[in-house]
Amino acid sequence: MIKIFRYECRRLLCNKFFCGLLLILLFYGWQVLNSVTILGVSHTAPFSPWSFGDYLSRMLPLLWIGALFFLTFFTAGRAQRAAVLTDATQVSPRRYALARCAAALTGTVLLALACLAEGAVFYGRYFGWYAWGTLLLPALAALAPPLVFALGSGWLLGRCRAWLVYVWMLVPLVCMALPLPEALWIWNGRFFTAYPLTLGSLDPAFVLPPAVVAAQCVLLAAGVALLALQRGCKNR
Amino acid sequence: MKTIRLFPLELRRLLQSRPTWLILLLTVASPVLGLTLYQPTSADTMLSLYLANPSIAGGAAGGILFGLLTVYELNRVGRSRADALMDAAVSPLTMALVRLLALLAAAVMTAAITMLVWLPISMRLIGSVFGGVDYALAYLLLMGLALPLSIPAAAAAYQFTRRVDLSLVLFAAFAALSLTVLADDWQLCWLNPCVWALSDDFSNFRIFRSVAWMRLTWLSALAGVWTVSYLCIRQYGKGVLGSLARGARRVCRPVIALLLLACSGAAYAAQPLVDHSNPDETAMTFYEVPYAENVVCTGRSARVFPDTSTGSLSGTASYQFQNTSGQEQNVAFGINPGYTISHVQANGAAVPFSVSEYQEYNEAMLEVTLPADEQVELVMDYSGFPQESRNMSTMQGSKEISTEYLCLENSTLSPRLMNVLPGENGYPATIEITLPASMTAIPFGSSEAEVVAEHDNGTKTWRYEVGGTGGILYAGDYIREDIEAGGMTIAFYYGRKHQSVMEAAGAVDAVKAVVDYCTEHYGTLSFGTGETLKLIQSRVTGGGYAADGASLLDEADFTADNLGNTDKGGGAGEVMIHELVHQWWGLGNMFDTSDAADPWSAEGLTVYTTYRIVKELYGEAYAQEHYVDQWQQAVDDYYLDFYVRNPDYLANLPEDKQLEITNNLAYVRQYCEMPLKILQAEQLVGGEAAMDQILNRLFNREIDPAYPYLTYQDFLHACGLTEEDLNLD
Repeated sequence: MIKIFRYECRRLLCNKFFCGLLLILLFYGWQVLNSVTILGVSHTAPFSPWSFGDYLSRMLPLLWIGALFFLTFFTAGRAQRAAVLTDATQVSPRRYALARCAAALTGTVLLALACLAEGAVFYGRYFGWYAWGTLLLPALAALAPPLVFALGSGWLLGRCRAWLVYVWMLVPLVCMALPLPEALWIWNGRFFTAYPLTLGSLDPAFVLPPAVVAAQCVLLAAGVALLALQRGCKNR
Repeated sequence: MKTIRLFPLELRRLLQSRPTWLILLLTVASPVLGLTLYQPTSADTMLSLYLANPSIAGGAAGGILFGLLTVYELNRVGRSRADALMDAAVSPLTMALVRLLALLAAAVMTAAITMLVWLPISMRLIGSVFGGVDYALAYLLLMGLALPLSIPAAAAAYQFTRRVDLSLVLFAAFAALSLTVLADDWQLCWLNPCVWALSDDFSNFRIFRSVAWMRLTWLSALAGVWTVSYLCIRQYGKGVLGSLARGARRVCRPVIALLLLACSGAAYAAQPLVDHSNPDETAMTFYEVPYAENVVCTGRSARVFPDTSTGSLSGTASYQFQNTSGQEQNVAFGINPGYTISHVQANGAAVPFSVSEYQEYNEAMLEVTLPADEQVELVMDYSGFPQESRNMSTMQGSKEISTEYLCLENSTLSPRLMNVLPGENGYPATIEITLPASMTAIPFGSSEAEVVAEHDNGTKTWRYEVGGTGGILYAGDYIREDIEAGGMTIAFYYGRKHQSVMEAAGAVDAVKAVVDYCTEHYGTLSFGTGETLKLIQSRVTGGGYAADGASLLDEADFTADNLGNTDKGGGAGEVMIHELVHQWWGLGNMFDTSDAADPWSAEGLTVYTTYRIVKELYGEAYAQEHYVDQWQQAVDDYYLDFYVRNPDYLANLPEDKQLEITNNLAYVRQYCEMPLKILQAEQLVGGEAAMDQILNRLFNREIDPAYPYLTYQDFLHACGLTEEDLNLD
């Protein structure tokens, strides 16, 4: 299994696509940091968890698209035709799918880590600020549930119709345009700019209201469930 | 020959494809996005709202759609696994060229249909200020040219990668860059041109020239990139490099690609529209040039000849100097960076001169060596295409020169003397300008221009006298209305295209009401003649300004939409009121402007007075909501701003960010914090009537010629208050 996982990782990560995506991500991230994050959000410091969360929210659409692009390696028509051969091997389809999911997750985590590292470099360079531990919670809250859900839902859609994955890439953009309820503001980035203003204090500590925690947990659970569900399915 | 033969076949096939028609229909409908979702212009003129926004949105959406269509069409043969057969019948290089031409033809057809479909809609939305030339140029440049840029961009992405997903990602990233981070870079936003406003009443050739330059730069660049990708089209089973080596065997192909890329690079680097002014807006290098010793300027004149067909200008400026130093002296002038000085003569002999590379506030410095003669007449010829300031590159259009409008400010009109003191009579100047007969010359100030000659070629020469080293001249196809208000005559100039809108809105009555209010509360104007005031409607500028006996009003305040806004009452826009009030609380005339970040400026009293007038016109609730509440919100935000609370961090930021933040904070302090303090002072001194009396006394105070400015301490003293009394914490 480890050999398959390594092979799939090499397929996903050692190619022009990954390098191009990484470059685009880093370039866009640097622009966001220099033009938006540097000003700070909701009267907080540029290196506050709120500003950092806002930065990650702005990066999320690209990370979402990146995660789904990793899936297109497995859900494209050519890959599904090759499934006839892989299904004929002795490897369990469940374990094979698990290895592929793990590889896609690894690629996504690497992209997310690149964004986090870029933010850390930015804070160190312009503000001499290195207390990165305080940013862990907003990073987990902003990135983990949607990216896991992207992989789970993308995997399901890709199995149904390969082109649905491309349509699914537009979801974050749709969320940004929709008037979502407050509990779901973290999905369109408004949470990090609007919620601290409601806390009634300057430079408030980072807290997640229960409704937001619940929404993110549901999203994470849905993503995990979809991934678990698909491991049992056979390729069409 | 084969290409020509295959082109109609490919075009016919393309037009029989359903996806093509879907893209065509979506593109034709896409300008509707500019009316609803995507409105990139920031001005509220009718042409900005109903022509620029739809055409830019149509261009962006149409460009993306045609990019998708291009990738779809280029992948069509490969998708059906017929590429081997096709390559055997026709060279893949030939087919790539034929497909590109067919897609371009479809794009041209789409643009033409869009223009036809949107013509009646635009005419209806825009109303009486609709113009056919503006319409055609807007749809051709803002929308039409986006399509032929997208097609080679998407085609190049596909030809390089040979993968649909990768080429779509590359194209999407390229488009997204233009729509986001490059949206404010007028040369790089290839998909969505950087247009902030289109004028209703006057021409828009300057901004259209800017867009055309950007489009042609990108057209050349993308044609070059496409040509390189064309060489990379896979042939004979080779990879990218092998195909490139084979494709480049015909030397003309790589040469064409390099030429196109070089042309694009040259067009980018040598663009003639925007200067290279220092981005630091607090730099005052040109004001620190030491004055020439024992040299005074006793007079000057200029003859100016705008070329309304090309948007350029030529002129001859002459200066009379008295040099009692007995030695050569260096004299400095500010000139528009777009101008070239052809020769400079002192008393009839050529003298050395140089123009600085360094530029500041839309000026370069011309240095001339004066001879040691006691009386020197310096004559210089200048000409060129006036450039706009780099710091205002996202708001281009101010240097419009056409048969409908021109505005020549200071060094754009004639070289501005920098380091020579005036003679006993100041800097008396005579300006002559030759304009098309339909234009009226309006000096910005108290002087009046008169026609001194009419020429056979349909032009007139205007002449006026003015003082000072610079000066501003407006000219255009204007209507003049003389209004008696506040005991003086107001000459109200507005564009001829706006006559019906102005009359319907009763703008003349609104002007009268505002002038009557200020005269009654604060007294008659102390600047200028006191008997006349020019009120000039300018081309859309994003604001206005006032000076000696004249006030500028932005046309955006006079649009049919704004004047018909019943929420604001029956009067015209409030910026008009604001700018008129500057005649009482003047700009440079009354306030020390040496510290641009000083919260005490002309704006505090002007904004406060505007609030009072609006309160009287539209009621207390309206004034509270649109003025006091908004000041309070902005001031609250200001005090909470991270960098205000932690200035040390501001010092660590890059210089451009520091400048941006500092300028923004100064704006809040001048336009929001100070009016709020004056309002607090009003309450402390006993109400509006008491404050009116105080302001009346301040306005009519005796001026100290050594320091004529009204200071914050003067204001506090008049109110009997201290700085601490007005703290807003």
